[in-house]
Amino acid sequence: MSFLSLFTAAPLAPPQPAPAASTSAAPENRMKFLEIINVSKHFNHPTKGKIEVLSNISLSIKKGEFITVIGHSGCGKSTLLNMVAGLDLPSSGSVCFKEKEIMKPAPERAVVFQNHSLLPWRTVIGNVMLAVNAVFKDKTKKERVERAEHWLTVVGLKDHLHKFPHEISGGQRQRTGLARALAMGPELMLFDEPFGALDELTRSQLQDESLRLHFEEHLSVFMVTHSVDEAIYMSDKVVMMNNGPNASIGKILEIDCRNTKFGKGVSLRIRLIDPSRIRAIGKDA
Amino acid sequence: MLNKIILYLNVLGLTWFVPPLKMVCGQDVAYEAKRFVRMIGLPLIAVVIFLFLWHVIAGQVKIKGQTLPGPVEVTAAAGKMYRDYQASQENYVTYQADFAKAQTEYPQMSETELRELMPYTAAPTYLDQIWTSLKTVFTGFVIASLIAIPLGILCGMSAAAFEMINPFIQVFRPVSPLAWLPIVAIIVGATMADVPANSFWAKSYVVAAVVVTLCSLWATLINTANGVAQVDKDYLNVAKVLNLGWFGTVFKVVLPSALPQIFNGMRLSIGVGWMVLIAAEMLSQNPGLGKFVWDMYQSSSDDTLAYIMVAVLTIGIIGFVLDRIMIALQRMVSPGAMLNVR
Amino acid sequence: MSTASLRLRHLIAGLALMCGATSASAAASETAAAPVVFKEYVLASPKPNLAKIKANKIEKPVLKFGIIKLTDCVPIVVARELGFFAEEGLSVSIEVQANWKLIVENTVAGSLDGAHMLAGQPIGATIGYLGQADMITPLSMDLNGNAATVSTKLWAQMQEREPRLKEPGHAHPISAASLLPIAKERAAGGNPLRFAMVFPVSCHNYELRYWLAAGGVNPGFYEGYNDPVGKRDADVLLSVTPPPQMVQTLTQNTIDGYCVGEPWNQQAVKDGVGVPVFTDYYIWKNNPEKVFGMTKLFADSNPNTVVAITKALIRAGHWLDENRDNRVKAVEMLANKAYIGANPDVLGASMLGTFEFQKGDKRDLPDFNVFYRYNATYPLPGHAVWYLTQMRRWGQIPGNKSDSWYHETATKIYRPDIYRAAYAKLQEEKLIPEATLPADDLPAFAGEDFIDKIAFDSKKPNDYLKLFPIGLK
Repeated sequence: MSFLSLFTAAPLAPPQPAPAASTSAAPENRMKFLEIINVSKHFNHPTKGKIEVLSNISLSIKKGEFITVIGHSGCGKSTLLNMVAGLDLPSSGSVCFKEKEIMKPAPERAVVFQNHSLLPWRTVIGNVMLAVNAVFKDKTKKERVERAEHWLTVVGLKDHLHKFPHEISGGQRQRTGLARALAMGPELMLFDEPFGALDELTRSQLQDESLRLHFEEHLSVFMVTHSVDEAIYMSDKVVMMNNGPNASIGKILEIDCRNTKFGKGVSLRIRLIDPSRIRAIGKDA
Repeated sequence: MLNKIILYLNVLGLTWFVPPLKMVCGQDVAYEAKRFVRMIGLPLIAVVIFLFLWHVIAGQVKIKGQTLPGPVEVTAAAGKMYRDYQASQENYVTYQADFAKAQTEYPQMSETELRELMPYTAAPTYLDQIWTSLKTVFTGFVIASLIAIPLGILCGMSAAAFEMINPFIQVFRPVSPLAWLPIVAIIVGATMADVPANSFWAKSYVVAAVVVTLCSLWATLINTANGVAQVDKDYLNVAKVLNLGWFGTVFKVVLPSALPQIFNGMRLSIGVGWMVLIAAEMLSQNPGLGKFVWDMYQSSSDDTLAYIMVAVLTIGIIGFVLDRIMIALQRMVSPGAMLNVR
Repeated sequence: MSTASLRLRHLIAGLALMCGATSASAAASETAAAPVVFKEYVLASPKPNLAKIKANKIEKPVLKFGIIKLTDCVPIVVARELGFFAEEGLSVSIEVQANWKLIVENTVAGSLDGAHMLAGQPIGATIGYLGQADMITPLSMDLNGNAATVSTKLWAQMQEREPRLKEPGHAHPISAASLLPIAKERAAGGNPLRFAMVFPVSCHNYELRYWLAAGGVNPGFYEGYNDPVGKRDADVLLSVTPPPQMVQTLTQNTIDGYCVGEPWNQQAVKDGVGVPVFTDYYIWKNNPEKVFGMTKLFADSNPNTVVAITKALIRAGHWLDENRDNRVKAVEMLANKAYIGANPDVLGASMLGTFEFQKGDKRDLPDFNVFYRYNATYPLPGHAVWYLTQMRRWGQIPGNKSDSWYHETATKIYRPDIYRAAYAKLQEEKLIPEATLPADDLPAFAGEDFIDKIAFDSKKPNDYLKLFPIGLK
């Protein structure tokens, strides 16, 4: 399932200045959803001194978009995601969610971790209830349980509600993580290489599920992965990062493609921002 | 159903019962039979060899005109102790009968009043002494846990707190109970109000329990701190994303995650505490197993050594049982441990 | 009278004496020859007579007494096991204590109501030596009952200096003079002789010192009320060891000798590690040994209870001295693991009137333990005065005191008034036969009774102190 073969031939469109807003988004939501403005991050290495991991990253995401950041391992994409989540703070620049600077994590920016991060002493539904109880304190117990059960059914775990994480498979655990994030009722879903630990078959299953949810529930998703196929399959926009240190955004690929299974028809519109980058990717693929 | 029973037997450490159970249910009879023979047979052979060697060596060592007690003499001593116990049980029956008679003679007095005037005054039996030892070690252990677990959580969560408390841990942990005992005895003797004879909170009991606390709290403290400090970062991230707050994080994520380590620490603590208890009892004269060994040592009669060996075996077996109980408890709170049991 | 009839009379007297002696020794050897068979004793469960509680207005019927593993705790044991306490309405439990210090501490703290104590303990505690607590004793538990043992090595050295000790059946008492050159040598070599006794105010301490001083050896002086060691100017070092550990420390060569009650001297003989050199009978015939002590507070708050306790203990003492069979039964009681637990043969040796000085050298000492005869149970203030003089002699009492001080202190601590009240009640209830109680609470004791022949008049303690060549005045 590779569109790349199409690209190695010739550029399809002339280069355009970066970043460009996607014209496929609905025009009603003009408020800035997620803005990453000139973000840099450096760490202090004990022996090597100051290491700059990210340099001047700027990105904006609109509501309802599925955006993926790809890059080699260690280029700093997880760091970027952590800053969007609020688990880390930028050294300079700012990350703004709905025009407010992100200072700390919140359930409105739910995270799906690479390691499912399920609490092993709680059952499947227990883990989801942890999230629901934390976010929906004012709802009744019954409503909260219903909510948790609903999302678990959506991800297909209706028969495994009372099992413990060590009793279910890897794919099921990741689904639980997904359900937990969804049950929080978030505005933005953050996927941190969510399917990296799974086998190919489960992976494609879960990719399809996530896409389905994105379409049905109108989720906004910010994903980080190192699988190009996955990025292109699932996202509206693919942001390519250079290698670290001093990683910055290379090019952004906008994909306007709807899969026939879920979408409303087939059309393929791809806009590239920097054609020279594509050849580099093509070589590596 | 059978599998559930087997699971529980495994968790409780009663793995020896699993093969017979399976054989009775007709599962894998040949395989289970072989497994059972190996499970029981090998330790049994070792025990027989040990008894034989003990018997031979004991016969060679001469003390004061006798030889060291071998397995035969020790069994005989155990038999004598049992007969002593039966005799004191008969005494107790006599006492009960006398008490009943006294009740009829003095109907106007309530039972507690009568019990106060006519208490059971015989010396404690061996079983009473075992029970006193167990009570003392549990008191010391519970106090130690109540101090060590909160302190350990604090140390695990705050590096600053750990830096401050660590020097004390390192300096006080290696101190032997025999060194603590005089200090504790003097402080308790001076500060505790004089208790009447026959009271539950005898000073010797408090002294022994405090010494047990001082020596056994370090294991729980260190393990709790480690368990708390080693909470998976991912779990903490989940807690952060959910905005659980300090209390929520500690009670819903940190503590449950650290529970297996905490129980591991408690298991080590009770092992140390049991050893310390015997020494503490010898010196504080708390009427438990330690005092029993000490009194036997001072008796200098012909079968003293055999009695002491019976006491040593008792102490060892009780320590083993306590350890097993803690292991079972630890397994029960460890998620996934139920599946990974040997 | 003609010389012939005189000589005849002497001959008959001599023959009579010889017959008497042979018959006595025959009787002795008969009793010695027939080995006693001790039976295992099962502890009794005495039922207290509750009616007596009201009748005698007992304030505290449930009591706990402490004992040390020594044969002379036996009056307390007997009083419990034979029900003497129970007949007074008292429920008594007995708890073995690890050492003499704990006995006093627990009695003062209240976890024991009364205890088997060294005669000097109530005295030392009341005058403030090593801690102050007002204590009294209404009853003396026994006379004599101690011995001192030296290690076989030291005995061999003593035999070198005094060859007569090598003869079997040598006469007792043995003087410490043969020890003096050995002590000087060892002290000069930096490794002085070490002796153990059970407590700084125990009669063993004073007897050991008395014996050493009588032989010219200086046992050291104390520096007043807070000095527990007492080794100023000492030729030999004295230290404290709990009685049951004496034999072990002797075997391990930590000490060269000790002075303690039974069975620990006979145990050393049995184990072949020591040789007794004196019994306190030779130091001072019928000396006060153990008492039943309690705090003054307890005695003042529970007067009727104290009288009841004293009654039971007098009866126990009387029973013990009544006949030999009772002594056998007492030994069986002591052999029970709840009390001393040592071998009955070892316990029985001294309790049945013999004492083995070396393996095979058994001598008759019928008065080794005296529990009732010679007014053994009467708490004689004269005895207390003797203790006070010895405390002054060795410096535990720092300054010189007047005679009246000695008398006042002694009568404060030793309470014959309580004893007489108990005795009167026993006579009323016809529980013991009549006996003559001492007329004078502060009598004089003859010089022959002492090893160094110095007479003791309890009315003149300061004059007595002046008579000792070694000792403060």
